[in-house]
Amino acid sequence: MAPTACFNCQQARAVIIRPKNRHKLCRACFLAIFETEVHETITGTNLFYPGERVAIGASGGKDSTVLAAVLKTLNERYNYGLDLCLLSIDEGIRGYRDDSLETVKRNAVQYEMPLEIVGYGELYGWTMDQVVEQVGKKGNCTYCGVFRRQALDRGAARLGIKHVVTGHNADDVAETVMMNLLRGDLPRLSRGTKIVTDSDASDIKRSKPLKYAYEKEIVLYAHHRQLDYFSTECIYSPEAFRGSARTLIKDLEKIRPSSILDIVKSGEDMAALVPRNVSQNGKGSQRVAAGEDEATGGCGSQNGRSSGGEMAAMEQQLNENETAESHETEIRLPAGPTSQKLPKGGKVIKKQTMGHCERCGYISSQRICKACTLLDGLNRNRPKTAIEVSVGMEDEESSTTLMRQMERTQLTSAEMLKKNEDEHV
Amino acid sequence: MPAKELDSPCMDCKDTESVLTVRRRQLCGACFKRFVSYKVFRRMEKYKPPRNPQDPRHQLLLPLSFGVSSSVLLRMLDAELERQRSKNFARNTFDLHVLVIEPSTMAGSSVPYDRNYEAVQKIFPQHTYSQVPFHSIFEYVPDMNEIMREYTGPQFTDDSSRSNAERLAAFRAAISTATSATDVDSVLLTRLVAAFAKQSGCETVLWGDSDSRLAAKALAGVAKGRGASLTWRVSDGVSPWGLQFDFPLRDLYKAELIQYESVCPELAEIIIPDEPPSDNVLTKNLSIDELMMRYVETQGAKYPGVMANVARTVNKLETSNSGNASCGLCGGLVGNVKRNSGVTVSSQAESSGSPFCYGCMRSRPEINC
Repeated sequence: MAPTACFNCQQARAVIIRPKNRHKLCRACFLAIFETEVHETITGTNLFYPGERVAIGASGGKDSTVLAAVLKTLNERYNYGLDLCLLSIDEGIRGYRDDSLETVKRNAVQYEMPLEIVGYGELYGWTMDQVVEQVGKKGNCTYCGVFRRQALDRGAARLGIKHVVTGHNADDVAETVMMNLLRGDLPRLSRGTKIVTDSDASDIKRSKPLKYAYEKEIVLYAHHRQLDYFSTECIYSPEAFRGSARTLIKDLEKIRPSSILDIVKSGEDMAALVPRNVSQNGKGSQRVAAGEDEATGGCGSQNGRSSGGEMAAMEQQLNENETAESHETEIRLPAGPTSQKLPKGGKVIKKQTMGHCERCGYISSQRICKACTLLDGLNRNRPKTAIEVSVGMEDEESSTTLMRQMERTQLTSAEMLKKNEDEHV
Repeated sequence: MPAKELDSPCMDCKDTESVLTVRRRQLCGACFKRFVSYKVFRRMEKYKPPRNPQDPRHQLLLPLSFGVSSSVLLRMLDAELERQRSKNFARNTFDLHVLVIEPSTMAGSSVPYDRNYEAVQKIFPQHTYSQVPFHSIFEYVPDMNEIMREYTGPQFTDDSSRSNAERLAAFRAAISTATSATDVDSVLLTRLVAAFAKQSGCETVLWGDSDSRLAAKALAGVAKGRGASLTWRVSDGVSPWGLQFDFPLRDLYKAELIQYESVCPELAEIIIPDEPPSDNVLTKNLSIDELMMRYVETQGAKYPGVMANVARTVNKLETSNSGNASCGLCGGLVGNVKRNSGVTVSSQAESSGSPFCYGCMRSRPEINC
């Protein structure tokens, strides 16, 4: 069979089927198109200004590695005039973060960028492994998410940088849209799709230049540019709503490859339709699974396995609300027509006012910021867990690690197969 | 009088044997009907009686598919009108027009329905009934062939010498994937119903979508890039044609409507049972709408409240008031199609100035994914 010519240049041999639209492309055209799309996202949204100092939130994973590589390339090609550096968070997860940090260190040399590492240990006195030891495997993502947000801000502040870019990709954004829809979380629905999230909560701006890039294309890009990245996902499992949304999106992508982008588009359109008084407030709707401030997409394992606890908890709360409501209406019924006016009238929603945490000085809407509140809880229980528990956890830990390793072996072999399939046109 | 011995008395009236369990409560048939009807009644309260007895009543159109949901809705609204009439000096607050799009003219359905159509008119004789074939869209939407020609592009040629049925079939055959075909079918169906409603002087269309169906529609709409139009596809809202779209069954699960059917024997003559979904289908061969129906069904079995909350969340979105051009095919806002609509840089340039919205562009024939 004659080799297929590249859809774009019609000359070179196609070696890649593009996941976004199944176009057959040669290596050079694929890399160029990928980079051009990121460039268009950046220029279309006026993301940077010349001379801006930008920190790349680098985990050593594929997304942030590709982000660093692409930004370096584009910065040189189009003279953005950016001063780029890498900023890494050391959550303190053994067997995951220590290895991936080595990758980041190599990246810093490869891309000639300065690197700053901020550790949970030094910042909070708790590594994630210690947190998990204390709170167990459920709900530890809350701690990680809250801690990470602050840690990135603090790291950037330490470097005197006002703009942090993260490797969130289109899959992450789509997942967040679906998840917030399932959770009924309107405020986050209105924020999650924005490319820049500079909130009142911090004077450091966050953005996601890979917002329209597919995870699969990021993997292909990393592969064809032979980038040095660390391919293990976090060993702690994702929150149930995110897991459910993730499975759904994988299925959708099989049916119609453009659907990830379509969800992002829908999310952007719907964000504009979220009522103003809700979108300005962080607590407009019922939420059970707290934590994860904004889209902390890139974390959690790819398996989507989870206990489902969050969904069950929300189900229960919704049931209770309904029961309560049905009691209410029975009493309200004789009043008749007046009950109709209720939904439109709108409750007066208290606006968030930003101040500083009394303890650490971090910007917060509360007297004491979320991180300090969580730390309080952790520290209160610390002495109790001296020896016994940690020994018990050790066993469990090692067995799950083993399990994960086995899963990984299976995964990588499956991935290799898939990759071969993609390349073989 | 000695108290009756009941194994499991109805939790509402306490003196009848319960026959069903609804939202963790055991109820008898009559109390169940009351519970369900109240949820619909609450939605219908907004149709107030005219201030002046001479003023015309509200004219409402109910599209009937002979499925469980729309048939149950008809039964409930019929009962509501009956209740209104039974009051002294009371008059009906609305008139019901029932519209049947001949199932035989739609995709894949060959079940005879004539007897069902006769039965429904006999059982609920108070209402106006009409039936039209799917391809009458060419009559109700006069510029439809123009729209179709522009939509399908050069690879499709409309032959106006052929019958409407053949022309519609040719148009639908031009659309390749299951997702796009289902999507365009539902767009055309909505258009036909809206056009019919306008012509017959109705101000509102009452859709028989259950809560589960609305959740699936919302998720599928988002996945197909139609997020902006959920404000009238899933929420109660004003459609692009100025008609109000309402969903009175939005507080009831599909399973509850099936329970309702079981306590209303007369509905058996009307309802054409759904074909059970085959469970031996590859995910990639499903349409997005089917995938979402399955998702809501399986998740809804475990977390009905969470699924119900999806439609409720969407219902909180506000209608867009930006005076934007509307899509030639589906009527939704065209919006800023150019921005990142294309998956490649080159296709972004192509789609600028399109008369169709983002969602419709995705289902267009030449985009084969």
